[in-house]
Amino acid sequence: MASMKCPKCAAPVEFDAGDRFVKCSYCSSQIFIDKAGAGFIYALPFSVTENDAVGIFRRWAAGPTRAKDLDKLAQISSLKKQYFPVYMFKRDVNGMEHVYIEPAASTTLPGLHNLKVPGGDLKIFDDRFDTGGAELVKIDIEMAPYLSSLPGTAKEQALVYFPIWRLDYAFEQRAYVAVISASSGEVFSGDFPKRSSGAYMAVAGLGFLAFLAEGLLAIASPVLAGALMAVTVAGVFGASNYVARRM
Amino acid sequence: MAISVGLNCPACGGAIQVAEGDNVLNCGYCGSLLWAEGDAGVMTVAYRNVQGRDSVLRATEQWWRKGWKARDLREKGKLLECYPIYLPFWSTTTRVAGWICGYEERRHTDREGNVRTERIPMEEMVLNDYRYTSIACDPGDLGIRYLRNVGGEASFADFESIPTFESTTSKDEMIATSKQRALEEARGDANVPHITFERVIAIPKGISRIYYPVWVVRYSYGERMYMATVDGVTGNVLSGRAPGDPLYQSLAVTAGTSIGGLIAAGGLAFGLGAGEGLLALIGLVVGGAVLALTYRFFRHGSEIVEGDFEGKAADMRGKLMKEARRTFRGFHT
Amino acid sequence: MRVVQVKCPRCQQPIYSKVKDLAFYCQHCRTMHIRNGGTNIIDFDIAEFSPNARGDRVYMPFWRLFSSFTINQANVAGGTFHKLSRMIKGTANGGNLFIYVPAWETAVDEFKRWSMGMTEGQPMYSLRQDFNNVERGPTAITKEEAMQLADFVVVTMEAERPGTLQYLDYSLQVHDARLVYLPFVRGAQGLVSGL
Repeated sequence: MASMKCPKCAAPVEFDAGDRFVKCSYCSSQIFIDKAGAGFIYALPFSVTENDAVGIFRRWAAGPTRAKDLDKLAQISSLKKQYFPVYMFKRDVNGMEHVYIEPAASTTLPGLHNLKVPGGDLKIFDDRFDTGGAELVKIDIEMAPYLSSLPGTAKEQALVYFPIWRLDYAFEQRAYVAVISASSGEVFSGDFPKRSSGAYMAVAGLGFLAFLAEGLLAIASPVLAGALMAVTVAGVFGASNYVARRM
Repeated sequence: MAISVGLNCPACGGAIQVAEGDNVLNCGYCGSLLWAEGDAGVMTVAYRNVQGRDSVLRATEQWWRKGWKARDLREKGKLLECYPIYLPFWSTTTRVAGWICGYEERRHTDREGNVRTERIPMEEMVLNDYRYTSIACDPGDLGIRYLRNVGGEASFADFESIPTFESTTSKDEMIATSKQRALEEARGDANVPHITFERVIAIPKGISRIYYPVWVVRYSYGERMYMATVDGVTGNVLSGRAPGDPLYQSLAVTAGTSIGGLIAAGGLAFGLGAGEGLLALIGLVVGGAVLALTYRFFRHGSEIVEGDFEGKAADMRGKLMKEARRTFRGFHT
Repeated sequence: MRVVQVKCPRCQQPIYSKVKDLAFYCQHCRTMHIRNGGTNIIDFDIAEFSPNARGDRVYMPFWRLFSSFTINQANVAGGTFHKLSRMIKGTANGGNLFIYVPAWETAVDEFKRWSMGMTEGQPMYSLRQDFNNVERGPTAITKEEAMQLADFVVVTMEAERPGTLQYLDYSLQVHDARLVYLPFVRGAQGLVSGL
């Protein structure tokens, strides 16, 4: 918590980093906080719990491009609660404000190199901030090189601890890693077991060709073509249902 | 840290309403004329959240029943948590004024088969205000990029109780993108095929930061965790992910292959029979398109996604939502 | 964000008004000021009503832009190009003129009508010192916007002529902008000039 004087009655007013508005407890004035100050360390709270993280992973793993049954067969070997540090730079480039986000720790984890702007309820990170047992990923990239290499002139910079769940899992004797943003639930993933489109394409392609042929046949022999079409409808439906459920 | 007062009338102390984009205000109590100055020219407005836990959960359950979502979602879906957040949006108004002149070419074929090209000169005036909104932070996996609703009551009353997402994208980029988009759109509206002269200006009329209440709902389906977001003002579902249903997937592809195949066959049969190669080709293309459309759903329909989930906030170009377009408002009406 | 009470920068009297107007007029010392970042007292003109102008009188604000203008080349399909050159005082294809930009929130047709009408007509009027309790239309367009709209007015005048504008190469410089209140009478078909 930081504090300031109420601009109306000069009473001390305490506020938090994310606050844009506070109410003075003495004179009830609404006070707006103008954040021109720089150099804060912020942290985003974990709004995704451990159970949520696993559930979000399973939802993601059941997605159409993921290997069939990945949600059930993936073996989660570890789930780590981490705060990943990123620098947030506001720069003045030719009179325009640009925001840049750069990692403050070297990592091979997916998604963390191109985090855009971490969305979330920014809190001031100080001694009283409760990390909830999350591991702080060590900062090993200095801010200075970024400051000199980014375009424009500096307006504001801050360090933001971005909350993530690092989830290691194995599938068919191979290890994979996924990162889940604990702020929004977004899943970042590099390599993952993929599902082949072959069976889907085969069903759709063969069905289409069969109907095309039967349509042409219908000109010569409508009854035979009609019967064949009925069989094909049943066949395509059965095959596609099997593919959608099992492949 | 610079601090500034706000939101009570500086003359009489009464609470005042600040509407988006309005610098001039009237105090409803003492009648004073007031002037609101944003930080660096940006007005800040928040909408009052009028939804509660119950209405949000009800909206989510109703949403489960709509569309091609899993039929058993109603029984198997379990609502786990539900909380409101304030999301920041940029809202810009850009006025475009100018003229686009040029011509259109029309081809006439006379009886002897001679083709004559006629040039029709065109002069088109553009004078419009374009309003755009865009989320002012990385929405992550919320599936929200634009502000869809503009009505509602402005109030800062909930600011203490609802977590607020900080606005972290650049307002200057938003203004520049809006200008560019407004010009492109004005050009599209003028619809002059060959431009010989163009003098169009885009004037940024203002930019506001809007804090908009959105409820996040998380629910499970089996062991999987899904989410949805609900508008805190209108109570409508804004975005969400939901499990699909293999039955709908297979029905879709069955319909697609049969209808697509028969259209293609019809085109081929009639086209080749009448000696019109083009008709045959059209039949094949239309049939193929029907197939492609249903194939997409067949392949990806195991998860139903609604909302703006693709791309990133910084990639705003072409993704601004045209909220409402107004021509100039009349004063004497 | 900061909310302040609007006070006259000259005599410090608060200004009361029900109308949302970007130009603040102090009844006490007859000062007008605008706010954009800072507080700026501006010069303004109030034109006298013609004695024949009877009915529901109202003053409407215009930004009058003192501009110099040169036409380098123009091409109009099926018409002629001379409207602008006709009214420019100076050499054959250039000179100075006042461009009038309606400063209130207008509908498109109203904007066209009054920007062209006043710019073409270059109205002559005698000045008065106060508004004489006549209602004042609110200003909604800033000086900067008006200066940007000058181009639009110029091209509109040419384009609205018979014939279709195909090409226009010109240069325009706005030297000065002044807020001018012109007299109008409200009629059944909208505003009628009260000059």
